Amino acid sequence: MMNLSRSVALISLFLLPLLSFSFSVDNPTDRRVLVLLDDLSLKSSHSIFFTTLKSRGFDLDFKLADDSKLALQRYGQYLYDGLIVFAPSTERFGGSLDSKSIADFVDSGRDLILSADTSASDLIRGIALECGVDFDEDSSAMVIDHSSFSVSDGDHTLIAADDLVKSDAILGKTKIEAPVLFRGVAHSLNPTNNLVLKVLSASPSAYSANPSSKLSSPPQLTGSAISLVSVMQARNNARVVISGSLQLFSDRLFRSGVQKAGSPNKYEKSGNEQFATELSKWVFHERGHLKAGSLVHHRVGETDEPAIYRIKDDLEFSVEILEWSGKSWEPYVADDVQVQFYMMSPYVLKTLSTDKKGMFHTSFKVPDVYGVFQFKVEYGKLGYTTLSLSKQIPVRPYRHNEYERFIPTAYPYYGACFTTMAGFFVFSFVYLYHK
Amino acid sequence: MVKSTSKDAQDLFRSLHSAYSATPTNLKIIDMYVVFAVFTALIQVAYMALVGSFPFNSFLSGVLSCVGTAVLAVCLRIQVNKENKEFKCKTIVTNLGGIVAMFVIAV
Repeated sequence: MMNLSRSVALISLFLLPLLSFSFSVDNPTDRRVLVLLDDLSLKSSHSIFFTTLKSRGFDLDFKLADDSKLALQRYGQYLYDGLIVFAPSTERFGGSLDSKSIADFVDSGRDLILSADTSASDLIRGIALECGVDFDEDSSAMVIDHSSFSVSDGDHTLIAADDLVKSDAILGKTKIEAPVLFRGVAHSLNPTNNLVLKVLSASPSAYSANPSSKLSSPPQLTGSAISLVSVMQARNNARVVISGSLQLFSDRLFRSGVQKAGSPNKYEKSGNEQFATELSKWVFHERGHLKAGSLVHHRVGETDEPAIYRIKDDLEFSVEILEWSGKSWEPYVADDVQVQFYMMSPYVLKTLSTDKKGMFHTSFKVPDVYGVFQFKVEYGKLGYTTLSLSKQIPVRPYRHNEYERFIPTAYPYYGACFTTMAGFFVFSFVYLYHK
Repeated sequence: MVKSTSKDAQDLFRSLHSAYSATPTNLKIIDMYVVFAVFTALIQVAYMALVGSFPFNSFLSGVLSCVGTAVLAVCLRIQVNKENKEFKCKTIVTNLGGIVAMFVIAV
């Protein structure tokens, strides 16, 4: 009996550290990533990408996409924080995985890298559709570009793309000099969807068609409406990268030099490795992840937060915003965070100034309207997590004894009353005692 | 024609002036007080026309107190005037002091 309880205690002691190896509010970078492959040779043909991930501390778990023991959760707990699906031709996942469970995975706030390729199956297209990305319906179509291709290619399907999104958060501070090589399928985004974003777009001369057969009608997807790599940041800040080419992540394209047709610049190394590395940093929350402390407000000159404000009070407002640097929380520095004093519409909208240590503050006068207001901070910068903070506060009008005692414009009226009193006093004396 | 009307106006004014100077002094004192009160009220109306009626309550209190005391002074004048025999009002006391006392209380 004693031995059994002691061994149980020992085992649980060993299991306890494992519980800390997942992402949490204090440490938002993902740790355990499931990599689904449809062919185990991808482990070696894409080894540079996986090695860079491992060197940054990720715990990669390689499985075949039709492995019958696949599971994302067990007993209600998710086993992985991130998912990489490099299985473009898989028709059905094994185990308990399907497009609904992957959609639930993203719904729980976890991240996904999905890559299609020239033979994308309906399953992969369905998952991409859930995330707002529409792959070309023609399953044999590829992106062809007769003016933006790499000169090492023969049939103009190896695109040298350099139309990258301008965002330091998504692609890092260093500019990607060399074009990114891409060979795969095109997808488009719904323009009304404001959660998806094109990271790598095709040039205006690109189109999506079958390279081995003659075109019978104009292609549906053309020009810069074609997106080669897109990202989606969901409302719960889960991040998804969808790429139309699996070869973009391969060692061969990482190492190859690139020269765009029609341009004299020849680059020793393509921009693929830098692009894939920076994108993976963004997707797994190593960059661009913000956390906000609570909103603090008080009257000028006080420190406590009052329960109610009066109209025309002067108040100070501050909020703390931190940015995750990959290892620790650093102060966030920006000059475009705004606060609204909101009741059905913003009565006051002010840009917060920062002290570069993470505190954003401003001060303003409560407007001359009473009611129940909210301090609202709605921050949605490209590539960063969306911050949506609010705090309610009522505003009351003047009490009866808070009005000014004497109104300056009414001094003549006060004077008239007093002169009337004095006149009456003098008149009564004069009238009674005149001779 | 014009000359005669202006001469009539002058004659009228002169006759009024001479008739008025015949009134007793106490009535003249009351008249002066009434003119002072009405003048104060008119000044306040002119001020309100200038700056707008923002503290309307103050404007009303100023004007109405002036106009009220003018009205009460006129009442006093009516009761005190010896030529007003038909205005022997039903006052409890008929002497001058009583009438003035009523005026004071009214104000």
